[in-house]
Amino acid sequence: MTYNIAATQPHLTDQRPHKGKLTQAKKITASGLSEAEAIERAKGGDAESFEALYGLHKRRVYSLCLRMTGNTAEAEDLTQEAFLQLYRKIATFRGESAFSTWLHRLAVNVVLMHLRKKGLPEVSLDEALEPQHDDGPKKDIGARDIVLAGSIDRVNLERAIESLPPGYRIIFVLHDVEGYEHNEIAEMMGCSIGNSKSQLHKARMKLRDLLKLSRAEKAARH
Amino acid sequence: MGEDEEEMNCQQFQEVLPYIIESGGNEEEEAHLRSCPSCAELVRDLRYIAEQAKLLLPMHDPNPRVWNNIEQSLHQEGLLPEGRMSRQGHTMTYPTPTQSKSWTPIGWLMALAALTVFAAVLVNYKPSLPAAQSTAQNSSTQPAQLATDDQQVIGQMSQEDPGVRRAYEDGLREADAYISDAEQAVKLDPQDAVAQEELVEAHAQKEMLYQMAAARSLQ
Amino acid sequence: MTETRVVPVAPNAASGTRIERLGRVFLVFAVVLTGAVANAQSQPQTGRKEIRFDVAPNGTINLVNDAGLVTLKTGPGHQVVMIYSPHSNKMEVDRESTPDNRRVEIRSHALNGQQPTAEEAKVDMELTVPAGVAMSVSTSTAPITAEGLAGDVTLSSDTGQITVANMVRSHLHVRSVAGPVNLTNLSLGHVDVTSSGGAVKMANVTGPKVNVATGSGNIIYQGDCSGVGDYLITTHSGDIDMTLPQTASVDLNARSVSGHVENDFPLQAKKHPVFVPKAGSSFAGTSNSGSSSVELRSFSGRIRVKKQ
Repeated sequence: MTYNIAATQPHLTDQRPHKGKLTQAKKITASGLSEAEAIERAKGGDAESFEALYGLHKRRVYSLCLRMTGNTAEAEDLTQEAFLQLYRKIATFRGESAFSTWLHRLAVNVVLMHLRKKGLPEVSLDEALEPQHDDGPKKDIGARDIVLAGSIDRVNLERAIESLPPGYRIIFVLHDVEGYEHNEIAEMMGCSIGNSKSQLHKARMKLRDLLKLSRAEKAARH
Repeated sequence: MGEDEEEMNCQQFQEVLPYIIESGGNEEEEAHLRSCPSCAELVRDLRYIAEQAKLLLPMHDPNPRVWNNIEQSLHQEGLLPEGRMSRQGHTMTYPTPTQSKSWTPIGWLMALAALTVFAAVLVNYKPSLPAAQSTAQNSSTQPAQLATDDQQVIGQMSQEDPGVRRAYEDGLREADAYISDAEQAVKLDPQDAVAQEELVEAHAQKEMLYQMAAARSLQ
Repeated sequence: MTETRVVPVAPNAASGTRIERLGRVFLVFAVVLTGAVANAQSQPQTGRKEIRFDVAPNGTINLVNDAGLVTLKTGPGHQVVMIYSPHSNKMEVDRESTPDNRRVEIRSHALNGQQPTAEEAKVDMELTVPAGVAMSVSTSTAPITAEGLAGDVTLSSDTGQITVANMVRSHLHVRSVAGPVNLTNLSLGHVDVTSSGGAVKMANVTGPKVNVATGSGNIIYQGDCSGVGDYLITTHSGDIDMTLPQTASVDLNARSVSGHVENDFPLQAKKHPVFVPKAGSSFAGTSNSGSSSVELRSFSGRIRVKKQ
């Protein structure tokens, strides 16, 4: 069975820099070592190589932590914890996946564990079955004549993501921003795949509302 | 039952949309999408949001204090020597007395363990035990004499169930043996990270017993 | 001649009074006795009591009960239901709460001046708590049974058996001096067990972090180590027995300093081993995609890994 919804949008090249899309050899540290060399040395306990790996990956790890928590102080603490765990565990890195993928997964686990301790908003099937607060199909949301396609400013998108409820934000960041599949998210979050899809949909719907509202407000000012 | 030809409405389509937006839908769903501008716009917007999200690059660098804190934590854990000297070998190097200027926590633990063992040896060679301590011990055969601190801990449990007291005695002996074995292993190979971890674990076992005994005596 | 009339003689007043008095005394005694018997029959022999109290949604309950039984369950609503039965009238149970109900302390103790025997000191307690409430329980000999709890749970006992089942996404911390520890169906959370002499048995215990350490207690694990977790199982002189299904996705390292190590579970050699395996003393390898890291360590105990 074919499905042409995808055909309503031109295919966009996936430019995500993870999931094995960058090989280790392409990354060069400030000291001129390749990432692969830095990893091997860091496994042997070389502190400078570990610092080099920190330099290469700190932005991605920190951005992930910040997007998932929406809080700078928490994101800094979690980044610190993720790299401390990396130091302790780097000897177990087997090279069967890209290092960035492995580190990324480690960072995601650190964030999820932290959120769980805080009382991670439960993603339950009951939520997925809750009636929408707007009954019926969405024919009109905010300003009807605001068309989103081609109009999203990435800064506004970041802001909108930040203002999502935590449960929606986590799943949206994991799936749409970081590229995890629903089965991976379901395993990490301890929910069903169906629930993950449902929550992602709600997150996108909420973002749609926020972005349209933002566009409408901007249009009204001019 | 409804007719097969009954068309899907917007509500029905949007109910299944979360589950089909990525993987694809069936003919009926596709037909609705073709015929409904509102749902088509919705799908377009949602997919656009998802695609824009993919393009979001990591934008933020952490504050430099994050690295400072990481470094400090590693120093405190004894995983990184002072001055971030490069180390050799496959595992962490335990700073030798000639290299380090101050003792790491592992060093203090080992020193404490050595003192404890030394005290136990001294007690063994005392001409006679104080009466209170000898009566506090229920077991008629004592495979290994408890260290003085351990004996004090047991002494404070004189009001406890004899079975409980015996459990603590056995536990403390076991913990001392664990510490001793772990120290031996570290001595054999100071660079063996696992041996160091096991020494920490051995002390943690003893600490647990002390904490539980202390809680008991407070009660 | 004189005529004699027989006149009925009235009973002796004194003897009559005594009989009456005796009769009254007997009547009173009978009434009192009946009342006492009835009273005794209306009260349960163990003095079972039930109380309900509030606890804040993310609050903590600290419970200390040295002897008897402790049973913990999760229930609906926001109140705690506590049912307890002292084995004697020499024991009582105190409860204190902070004004905001965020912390509740429950403690059984002997009444002032009383010196209960081991049996008399027992109090059986059953608590049904709202989900998400953190629990900390400490006993000396009392076994602890916890089922279906959610939230942070700390269980500690000197010699009492600790049994935990059916926990999801929780942090479980167990400490035991010599009592056995049995864990069943725990997933998606942290599990941290330290036992000196008590054996630890685990069935279907999985999660991002599972740490089990014993001094001399044996450790038995049956499950698949799933959850992309870190499993660290260490013992000084106890034995470790692990049974894994073929589908387990593990990166397994096992070492014993002086004990024997056996492996019947199919593993692939690692590309970057942390140590060089030595037959009989250590082995290392991965199975499937090696998602979970599993470390088994012993000094003098035996380590055995088998396929289910």
